[in-house]
Amino acid sequence: MAFNRELFFENADASARSGFVIRAVDVHKVYRMGDTEAHALRGATVDIIRGEYLSIMGPSGSGKSTLFNMIGGLDKPTEGKVYIDQVDIAQLDPYELAWLRCRKVGYIFQSYNLIQVMSCIENVMLPMAFAGLDGEESREKALHILDLVGLGGRALHKPSEMSGGQQQRVAIARALANSPDILLADEPTANLDLKTGEEIILLFRKLCNDLGVTVIAATHDLKMLKKSDRIMWIEDGMITQVTTPDQMNLHEEEVH
Amino acid sequence: MREQIGRQVRLPMSRALQIAIQGIRIRLGRSLVTVSGVVLGIAFLMSNVAGQLISSSLAREKETRQIVTLMESLTQREVGSASGKILAVAVCGAMNRTEQLFLDRLDAMPFEAIRITGGRTKRGVSCTPQNVGAGAYLLVVLGQDAAAPHALGDLTRGMTRIGMLDAVESRTYAGQAPEGVKRDLLFGPETEQQMARMQEKAEQAKFRTIWVAVISLLVTIISISNALLMSVTERIREIGTMKCLGALSSFIRRLFLIESALVGFAGSVVGMLLGALIPILIYGWIFGFGLMFQELPYLRLTLSCAGCVVVGTVLSMTAAIYPANFAARMVPASALRSNV
Repeated sequence: MAFNRELFFENADASARSGFVIRAVDVHKVYRMGDTEAHALRGATVDIIRGEYLSIMGPSGSGKSTLFNMIGGLDKPTEGKVYIDQVDIAQLDPYELAWLRCRKVGYIFQSYNLIQVMSCIENVMLPMAFAGLDGEESREKALHILDLVGLGGRALHKPSEMSGGQQQRVAIARALANSPDILLADEPTANLDLKTGEEIILLFRKLCNDLGVTVIAATHDLKMLKKSDRIMWIEDGMITQVTTPDQMNLHEEEVH
Repeated sequence: MREQIGRQVRLPMSRALQIAIQGIRIRLGRSLVTVSGVVLGIAFLMSNVAGQLISSSLAREKETRQIVTLMESLTQREVGSASGKILAVAVCGAMNRTEQLFLDRLDAMPFEAIRITGGRTKRGVSCTPQNVGAGAYLLVVLGQDAAAPHALGDLTRGMTRIGMLDAVESRTYAGQAPEGVKRDLLFGPETEQQMARMQEKAEQAKFRTIWVAVISLLVTIISISNALLMSVTERIREIGTMKCLGALSSFIRRLFLIESALVGFAGSVVGMLLGALIPILIYGWIFGFGLMFQELPYLRLTLSCAGCVVVGTVLSMTAAIYPANFAARMVPASALRSNV
C-alpha cells in the first residue's frame, strides 16, 4: 500500500500540534418524546488529545452514539459545551458548521450511509465537491484513496453491488476524502475480515503517527483496542473509565 | 497549519444541477409518477385553452351550422315524417354557405324523392320550374335573389299541399300568388330566440371549463407536493449524509427545487403537446382539417402553449417549496437516526 503523502495531505505537520483537539464539558442531551424524556447523556466530560487514537467502548443504550454526534458537530447538546479546536461549536453559524463537517471531521457510520445511486468513486468525490475540489484532480485523489483501502479495482461499482465489508471500506475512503484532522469512526472494522481489518487499523495508526490525525473509534474489536492510545468507557450517559490498552488486558473476557 | 474554522463556500448552480440530473436519471421510475401528474394537469389545462381558441376561431362556422340545424328542425316540423313524401326545391340565384349546407341536410332526409330546379344534389331529380312541384308535399325556395324569376303559380303547380319555406324574407315573385299559399321563413324570429338560448348555454359551458381547469391545477399542485414529500422522506438518510459531508442547507434546498423545476418543465412540455393535440384532432375531424388549419389563431395558440409550460414549471416549483425547506432544515443526527 503505497502512501502518496503529497497527494493525500497538504500542510500536514504532526509535530507542531499539541493540546486538546476536542473537549466536551459536562454535556447533557435530553430527547423529548411526547411526555417522557430520555437522558442520553448525563454530564459527559471528554478531553481528546490531538493526534491520539482513542477507542470508546460502551453497551448499547449507553449514549455512545449520542456522544459521537456531539463531538462530531452533528448535533447540539441540551446542556454543556463542546469545543473543537478551542471553538465552541454551538456558536458556529451554518456555513462554519458545514465547513467543519466537510474539512475538519471525517465520519464513518456503522451503517455506511453511502449514496446508493452513485458509484464508489462518485461517493468518494462527493465531499471533495463540497470542498470545492473538482474534475480530474478530485478523481485522481479519490482513486488513490480507494487504492489505500484496497478497492482500486471497484471504483465504478455501485454500493448495492458490493459486500458489507467493501461498502465499509468505501465509507472509510469517503471519510478520508478531504484529509480531515479528526476521524470519527463507528465500528469501522465490524464487517471486515481479519486481514482487511488489520490493514485498516494499520492505516489509522499511520494517519495518527505520521500526520497527526486524531482517530476516535467506537469499537468492540480487540485488535483495535490493542492499537489505541487510550480507551474510554461510557455507561449510562457518563464516562466511567479512561484507560490505556495495557491496563485493559486483564479484562479481555469482559470485552464482549 | 490549516485554519481554525473556515466558512463553507456556496457551490455553483452547475454543481447542484449536475447532482439533480443524476438523481432524476437514477430514480427515473419514481420521477415518472410526479411527471405524469404534471402531464395530466397541464394536458387538461392546455386542451381547454386550445379548445376555446380553436372553437372561437371557428365561431362563424359553428354559427352557420347552428342555423342550418335550426332550419332542418323547422323543416322536419313542417313535414312530419319525410318518408313517402316528395320535396320540391327551387333555387333562385346563388346560394350562400348556410343554404348549401342545408341542401346537403335535405338530401340526407328520407324523402321519397327530391325534385330540384337550378341546383344540384346527390338525390335530386332535375326539373323545370313548371313541373317541380308535381306531387310534392313541401316547397323550399333557396338562393339569394330578391326577385324570383318564376311565378308562384308555376312553382306550386301540382303540389299535394301548398306549403312553402323561403330562405329570403324580402323575396318577391312574378305574377299572382295562388289561393291558400302558406309562406313561412326558414329563418325567422323564433329561430333567433333559439339561437340566443344556444349562445347562453355555450357561455355557461365556458365558465364551467374554467372552473374545472382551476380545480385540476390545484389537484396537480397537491399531488406533486405529495410525491415530493414522499421522495424527501425516502431520501432522509441521503440528505443527512450529504449534510455530514459538508452540504449547506441552501444547497439541499436548491437541489430539490431544481429537480422539481426539471420534472415540471419536462412534464409540462409533454402535457402541452398532448393537450394541444386533442382539440386539434377533434375539431379537425368535425369541421374539416382544411378549414380548421386555415382559421387557427397561430400566434395566440403559440403563446398559450408557452404559457402552459411556464404555468406547469412554476406550479412544480411552488409545490416543491415546502418539501425542499423540510429537507434543508433537517438536523443530520436525527436524519441519520431515522429508520426509513
